[in-house]
Amino acid sequence: MRFLWLIFKNILRRKTRSAFTVLGISIGIATIIALGAIMNGMTISMEGMLKSGKADFSIAQSGISDFAFSRVNENRTNEIQQLEGVKDAAGVLLGFYPIANNPYVITWGVETQDFPLLGVNIISGISFSQEHELLIGEVASKEWNKTVGNTLTIRDQEFTITGVFQTGSMYQDKGVALSLNKLQQIQNQEGYVTVIYVELEEGANAEEICQQIEQNYPDLVTIKNISELSKVDKGLETLDAATLAISLLAIIIGGIGVTNTIMMSVYERTREIGVLRAVGWTKKRILTMVLGESILLCLFSILVGLLLGVIGTQLLTLQPIIRGLLTPMYALDTFLRAFIVAFSVGLVGGLYPAYRATKLSPSEALRYE
Amino acid sequence: MNKNKIINVKNLVKTFEHGQVKALNSVNLEVSEEEFIAIMGPSGCGKSTLLHILGGLERPTSGEVMVDSVDLCQMKNLDTFRAKKVGFVFQLHNLIPVLTAQENVQMPMFELKLSSKERNERAEKLLRLVGLEDRIDFVPTKLSGGQRQKVAIARALANDPKILLVDEPTGNLDSASGHEIIQLFQRLNKDGRTIVLVTHDKEIAEHASIIYYMKDGQILEK
Repeated sequence: MRFLWLIFKNILRRKTRSAFTVLGISIGIATIIALGAIMNGMTISMEGMLKSGKADFSIAQSGISDFAFSRVNENRTNEIQQLEGVKDAAGVLLGFYPIANNPYVITWGVETQDFPLLGVNIISGISFSQEHELLIGEVASKEWNKTVGNTLTIRDQEFTITGVFQTGSMYQDKGVALSLNKLQQIQNQEGYVTVIYVELEEGANAEEICQQIEQNYPDLVTIKNISELSKVDKGLETLDAATLAISLLAIIIGGIGVTNTIMMSVYERTREIGVLRAVGWTKKRILTMVLGESILLCLFSILVGLLLGVIGTQLLTLQPIIRGLLTPMYALDTFLRAFIVAFSVGLVGGLYPAYRATKLSPSEALRYE
Repeated sequence: MNKNKIINVKNLVKTFEHGQVKALNSVNLEVSEEEFIAIMGPSGCGKSTLLHILGGLERPTSGEVMVDSVDLCQMKNLDTFRAKKVGFVFQLHNLIPVLTAQENVQMPMFELKLSSKERNERAEKLLRLVGLEDRIDFVPTKLSGGQRQKVAIARALANDPKILLVDEPTGNLDSASGHEIIQLFQRLNKDGRTIVLVTHDKEIAEHASIIYYMKDGQILEK
């Protein structure tokens, strides 16, 4: 018999109690997995907004806390385009509207000549040319079962789908695109765009150009990659902080649950621990056994938590508002975080009962009834 | 032939509750190798405390205790002593309920550097020795009281100690099973083990070669 087998069998002594403890920790793990997947999905969505097609960086209004509320004068697009090292620039207006029973659909206001820079490929039909025409993203087209010739309603105005586009970005492909002028008119934002995408000449120094733009236009901020998103959007930071807080809460609640379970187990086995000490077991071995039980319980919780987390996330994506916004992404670091949390819960939760077990006097433990 | 003294106790005193309770009061005891002694006395006379001190479960308050050339008053780490020098058998078998007989016997072996296979083989051999070769994979609840006590004896022999310290081994058994257990101890004694048996049952004690009587923490007579 191996030592690990003994630890495993000890856990199985009180199956119901162990199962409830595992379930308790699993819920915490599942929350971490689900939040992590949503967070990753949101990051990818944000990346989809920040980096479009061939753009090397994007420009938004400075001093804002939500990228969607960025308001940049449309004339800036031409000014930026004139800068040395800049090959092309495209101003895009973003809007979010309920379309075809989907409560939150990203809507792009774009100029058709900017399609190459934005990486928009029309895979069926043609581009819009009239005011009440639009393009539908490939993913949206499939999900809503709408294609060329069908109509969509945005703010009580009917639009005819003239083509289906694909960008390769899941987030963009879940939306619709119409003429910049029309969207400005719908949003009462004539002369303004949300973001300017910039493509640089080959060999141009992105860092220098970004610095130059921020110096010349204090009302603008440049974003080269997702790590700079916090300049214009605090949403991901807030969600990340919430995830961390929930992880800590899971450690505390799970840790208390595990401590209680293992403590009870140690009390119930006081006499048995006395016998093990009597037959020569060292305090270190007793500590290892009790801590091992606690950690093993938490490792089981990872398996159950993973399953619950994935199922829970999939259930969440059944909600149209979530499905329209993001596609949950399971990344290695999420699983790693869940593993670290579970392991920490096992370690922290088992430490006190294990310490108590080693402090039992063998002689007194043998007299315990 | 004169045998070596394997246990030598001089002026042993053990107090509890900061000296308010005197469990052992100047106890002297000598046990030769391969001897089978019984210590008799009423409950609370200190016989179990004496057994616990001889087995390194308690430290003496004062006096000298030498067991198999180990000075228990000086030795800092008593775990190794317990693992290698003595084997305990208690009134209640104290087997781990979720483990089989063979697994229970292996418990003391974890402190030795043995492979899993070696532990299995040794446990099987010991269960054969106590006559339980057909109960190897049985959990304690599937064994009779006498069989459980035999598993506990096999466990005490796991690390091949010279001395067996036995505390009321038949207290929970019917007379037939009790008799069988005592016969097993006699056999183990003949094979060269030193046995110190603590009991309040005169009939059981009479199977030992020497009987000591204890009262109020003192050994009165031989």
